[in-house]
Amino acid sequence: MRYAFFPGCKIPYYVPHYGASSRRVLQELGIELVDLEFNCCGYPMSHLYYQSSLLAAARALAMAEALGLDILTPCKCCFGSFKRSMHALSQEPERRRQVAEELAKEGLAFPVKSQVKHLLSVLYHDLGLPALRQRITRPYQHLNVAVLYGCHALRPSRVTGFDHPYAPTIIDQLVEVTGAQSIAWAGKLSCCGAPLLEHNPELSLAIIARRLSECREGGADVLAIACPYSQMQAERAYAVPRPAADRELVTGAVLYPQLLGLAMGLTSADLTLSLNTPDAGYLLSFLSGA
Amino acid sequence: MFLKVGVIVALAACALGLAYKIRLWLTVAIGPEAVGISAGQRAAAALGGLGRAIFSRRLGAMLKALALDGLWQRRVWNHSRLAWLTHICIFVGFLGLLLLHALGDVLTKHVFSGYQPTVHPYLFLRNLCGTLVLVGVGLAIYRRCTLPGLKLTTRGLDRLALVLLAVIIFSGFALEGVKIVSHQSFERMVKEYPPAGGEPAEVAALEAYWAREFGVAFPAGRGQGDARALELGRRLHEETCADCHAPAQWAFLAYGLGKALGPAGVSLAGAGEEALWYLHVLASLLGLAILPFSKFLHLFTTPLLLAVRAGMDRRQLSPANLATLRAYELDACMHCSVCSVHCSVGVAYPEVGNQNILPGEKLAALMRLSGARPGQPSPRELRLIRQGAYICTSCLRCTNLCTAGINLQDLWLAMKADLARQGLGSTYHDVRQALGRAAQPSRQAPVVRLGNGQPAIHKELKASALAGNFSSCYKCITCSNSCPVVRMYERPLEELDLMPHQIMHCLGLGLKEEAMGARMTWNCLTCYHCQEACPQGVRVADILYELRHLASAQSADLEV
Repeated sequence: MRYAFFPGCKIPYYVPHYGASSRRVLQELGIELVDLEFNCCGYPMSHLYYQSSLLAAARALAMAEALGLDILTPCKCCFGSFKRSMHALSQEPERRRQVAEELAKEGLAFPVKSQVKHLLSVLYHDLGLPALRQRITRPYQHLNVAVLYGCHALRPSRVTGFDHPYAPTIIDQLVEVTGAQSIAWAGKLSCCGAPLLEHNPELSLAIIARRLSECREGGADVLAIACPYSQMQAERAYAVPRPAADRELVTGAVLYPQLLGLAMGLTSADLTLSLNTPDAGYLLSFLSGA
Repeated sequence: MFLKVGVIVALAACALGLAYKIRLWLTVAIGPEAVGISAGQRAAAALGGLGRAIFSRRLGAMLKALALDGLWQRRVWNHSRLAWLTHICIFVGFLGLLLLHALGDVLTKHVFSGYQPTVHPYLFLRNLCGTLVLVGVGLAIYRRCTLPGLKLTTRGLDRLALVLLAVIIFSGFALEGVKIVSHQSFERMVKEYPPAGGEPAEVAALEAYWAREFGVAFPAGRGQGDARALELGRRLHEETCADCHAPAQWAFLAYGLGKALGPAGVSLAGAGEEALWYLHVLASLLGLAILPFSKFLHLFTTPLLLAVRAGMDRRQLSPANLATLRAYELDACMHCSVCSVHCSVGVAYPEVGNQNILPGEKLAALMRLSGARPGQPSPRELRLIRQGAYICTSCLRCTNLCTAGINLQDLWLAMKADLARQGLGSTYHDVRQALGRAAQPSRQAPVVRLGNGQPAIHKELKASALAGNFSSCYKCITCSNSCPVVRMYERPLEELDLMPHQIMHCLGLGLKEEAMGARMTWNCLTCYHCQEACPQGVRVADILYELRHLASAQSADLEV
């Protein structure tokens, strides 16, 4: 299995632990990643500069298609943005013509075959749970995990096709493969607040704080995340001072490949757990044999 | 005399310029950390920091960076082999000329005892170095004219540097070529170092020999002789001239140029020689005088930055040193445009057409914004700079690629903080505020504007695949009930002006401004709960997107 790796713009500076742990786990699973110099997926510009966001998505996919590869991205917002942009381009011939014209200037053909896949879709659909289960060498015991599905992967479901919009199970299954329990909690399908971080920081932080306290109240030991934006949000929520009277937050947030990698026998250094805020090293104590 | 005075004037100008630059490095304040620190405090902190770094174990790392990143130019090599070749040709060639030629009397003759510009190997090396610079300048012009990213970003200072280099080297070669074939130079030398007897027949024999062997062009009737005369000329040459004159052919390019002049060489000797000398000297002195304000400054500032960054941890810098470093970094940029060519949001340029999206150009804007370059940006330019700053996704690529080792990411974040302090927050906010003033939704006086704004907004939205189906809405309020933003407030209408179902309703009534200006439209999380839940398949979240796009286009129209 070979994919063009699309880390997106947030991983290199803000969430390097997500990039490092994704690469490490995928390497361990025999999934080959090809690095291309991609442009932004277009998501951050989609609010104000629509045509640019469409061009951005098409250009990146065209680069992957030129090598006959699909794109694998660990970012749910990149994933959703690719899906929505390509869907919009399939419906708007005039915009599609303009994009194709811009691509032709660089000798790129408008992409028609290559698809974008989220890291979790690749693990679930392309690799498969049975193959994954075989790689678990030290399953978790008594670890309660809250999963956050991520708005842009899940909805609009007819466009993204990630999972069932109201009763998704993919991430729960991927968590349970590691021996952990995926708990039911209030905010599972809800938003982390990231899109408003620059525009309305108070609201944005209030939303993530609510998510983090909801999953604590649901009995979670950790919140499992598979999107750099959600991880950035969580880490910011832990970093800002909070009044003692506020609802308590869950102990920490972990990126899914970190959670999976530990159960596969990788070390906390392999998975850069210490870069998480707060340090996700406490998960080691839930591993069997710990 | 002219040369002496010229050198003194140029050196004085250069020194004044450098002093001005150093003052800027100690006073320009970028980012909130830099506020309220005096130049004196910054100077003391910088000297202390440098001292501590030099007398520490980090010295090794600094020297290594100086060799690998400075001399070998590893970061350019990693970027592009052609760019590296271009740069190394100019760098090695120009440095060689400086040491072997320009500083010949000041430096070289003290280092190499036998130094004479006309003997081996200096005669050849000078031509080799000059040729290297010419090749480099040629490649640079080729790259700047053909590579789209470079073509887009080439500015006056880039052209000035290349033109000045080309003039210096070309005039140098032409001068040398004319001197090689100049009979007047020959006569001057014969007068100064007469051959053995100095008899007219002997001089004529020497002329014949030099005309044949060294390509000197004599006026008609001179410089010819039979085999005997040539033999005599050769003997005299070996006795008198050969010690100081290697064969002129070793100055391969200048010799070729001189020969190409043919008979014109006779008339160019004298006045032509003098004109070329003035051109060469003046161009070189001009380069020296404007060095602090030209691209040539990076010859010093960039290697120093590369060394310094290897000897420090930016996160541990004191605010004073961080401020100085940021100001200094502006002058380490040589505008190679690697950052702009690789910028991950450069893809927005075709639509937005704002150069401030591109890091290299944004840095130029930051120079003006911070007062490091003259020309305070106008309000309109400020908005363009802010637009560029906010399209940036902070992906770190420009910082990773910067051939000068500038931490651009840190500069961008500091710049955004400075813009925000000046009341220039995100573009998003501004677009919304511009609308808000025009269209605060009001519930005191119900507005029914059927037939007024309606056709325009209907046409605009209907044309969009995103927003075309708003009229299917039958106001069941499912969207507003599923909205996580609405749910964050006890009294959502007071915070958001309108709820999603009301925005759909506004659109049905043609109330475009109300829909666009509502805070709900600008506080949408794009979580798509509303759209997923709508029983009518109205693309609620996409419609809010489209309203923002329309508002953005409208505010761009207002700005221009």
